[in-house]
Amino acid sequence: MSEFDPSQDTTHQRPGYLSVLAIFGRNSLVRDMMFRTNFLLEAVSGLSWALMNVGFYWIIFEHTTSIGEATGWGKYEFFVFLGTTWIINSIMQTFFMPNLEEFSELIRTGGLDFAMLKPIDTQFLISLRKIHFSSLANLVLGVVLLVLSLNQLAQRSEHPWHIDWIVLVLYAIYVLCGVAILYSLMICLAATSVWLGRNQTLYDFWFYITNFSRYPMEIYATGRGLPLLFVFTFIVPVLVVINVPARLLAQPLTPRAWWEWPLVGFTLIATVAALGVSRWVFQKALLSYRSASS
Amino acid sequence: MDHYNPATMPIIEIEQLTKSYRVYQKQEGLMAAIRGLWHREYRDVHAVKSIDLCVEQGEFVAFLGPNGAGKTTTLKLLSGVIYPTSGSARVMGHVPWKRDNDYRRRFALVMGQKNQLWWDLPAQESFRLHQQIYQIDAQQFRNTLDELSDLLSVGQLLGRPVRELSLGERMKMELIAALLHSPDVLFLDEPTIGLDVVAQHNIQQFLKYYQEQRKITILLTSHYMKDIAALCQRVVVITDGAIKFDGSLERIVDDFSGFRVLKLQLAEGQSAEGLERFADVESVELPKVTLRCARSEVTTMLARILEHYAVEDISVEDPPLEEVIAQLYRDSESADVVSTRPHEVHD
Repeated sequence: MSEFDPSQDTTHQRPGYLSVLAIFGRNSLVRDMMFRTNFLLEAVSGLSWALMNVGFYWIIFEHTTSIGEATGWGKYEFFVFLGTTWIINSIMQTFFMPNLEEFSELIRTGGLDFAMLKPIDTQFLISLRKIHFSSLANLVLGVVLLVLSLNQLAQRSEHPWHIDWIVLVLYAIYVLCGVAILYSLMICLAATSVWLGRNQTLYDFWFYITNFSRYPMEIYATGRGLPLLFVFTFIVPVLVVINVPARLLAQPLTPRAWWEWPLVGFTLIATVAALGVSRWVFQKALLSYRSASS
Repeated sequence: MDHYNPATMPIIEIEQLTKSYRVYQKQEGLMAAIRGLWHREYRDVHAVKSIDLCVEQGEFVAFLGPNGAGKTTTLKLLSGVIYPTSGSARVMGHVPWKRDNDYRRRFALVMGQKNQLWWDLPAQESFRLHQQIYQIDAQQFRNTLDELSDLLSVGQLLGRPVRELSLGERMKMELIAALLHSPDVLFLDEPTIGLDVVAQHNIQQFLKYYQEQRKITILLTSHYMKDIAALCQRVVVITDGAIKFDGSLERIVDDFSGFRVLKLQLAEGQSAEGLERFADVESVELPKVTLRCARSEVTTMLARILEHYAVEDISVEDPPLEEVIAQLYRDSESADVVSTRPHEVHD
């Protein structure tokens, strides 16, 4: 055991990211089952919030048939949008939000030390440590809402909806892009705790931006909304998160307005850029980490 | 990490390692706090000042020093958790703060005041996670876990949620978590803090046995002199961010205490009056008298005392270790480097 010749280590084993993730999932599940009632309450409260949302928009659409004129956002198209919102939010809540909030806390208390010692990517470790399974309830609900709404759209008089694999694949890709953009934003925000000492605004901020990105971007496409549209599309690209996949799914593949395909392309670039920036911010944060004294 | 040759190079090499922090200087009072919103005064805190240290493979070294002396900061630098302001360090040929996986697979850090196990889950679930993270072969994992839990006699507690364990049991689990991947270098930051005497003793015994068996290199910080006396052949005293002593525990007394304690048993009827003329009188409980005098004067002093007093028994002792070290802490605030090994500290 007295050997410490580095040559024994030249195999450069890759840490098994998937098996580590599986253990995270397993441990989270064991823990959730330990507090069953809490788990059920979380799932139920998430579901009720979502259902109240549908009810609310249902009432809105009693007053109007479409959001704006000729935007293509009728009642069921909008419900596709809403379903997409839930799916993306639910993925964020299940995998990332509780961990990122804890990241802030780990920085403040010095608990990040242990994550930094492990021979595995630190960002991976802190981003996925705990999986919040109860939030998956809204993912299921989102899918149900999608199926029901698309079923209605199949009876649309103009361009009735039909299963198109290209659209479904694009949808899946852009849902993941949306998650990646939100994740990047949140990790940047959580990492600021390193410099600020404390930053407990993570969930507030999450609330603001999800509120903001929860509506079709056409809403902002007039007059005073334009600066907002510009900023939240190109600077902090939260508007594309739900809009792009939802629009891809709800509207027929053709015809499309002139700006739509460029926006789809831009979203891909924005995703890569967001991930890159957040990785950079994360590394910078580790460099400045002070580790609270024991 | 290139060209690291364990036969010729120390396992840990630290050169002029320095870590300073800029901290916001808080002023007292509400008005000052408001002013602090836009005008902040900063102060540099030098946690570690140009430390030089070499540790050979298989050594068990203690870092001794008062709170805030820089012991923990040094361990954190060596663990790669924080970056130094200047200076260099190599552990097994790796620069710690580069945090490459090859390095991180071969050392461990245990902190008595922080825990890394999942609070609500049994410790064995956390161990399984470590198995995956460190890519420990299943059979080897089983064997190591059995051996460690046997040695620490916590086998029957592995399935119990960590939050239900006592502090001592939890610390043992933390040790197991740290040792599962059989690290070559182990950093222990106050591993026995807050533990009762029995638990402290158990952990000492375990560390002693484990280190002797595996010949791994251990750096330990502790406030308990007993930990250090039981475990470490070599003691490094750090105060105020600098190394003030490096050597064996016994040598601290030789080097830092210029005093000897004289215990006299006076003959019956002999009064202790006037003894203060010869030496500092520490206590008088007739017929016993305790005196203190400079080491160099012990013999002349004794001769003179024997001339004037009827003495039945004499013993000359070193002052208690704790006292010497407390004195060393106090002195070193003003003094420069006093004694080091193996080479000079640049300050």
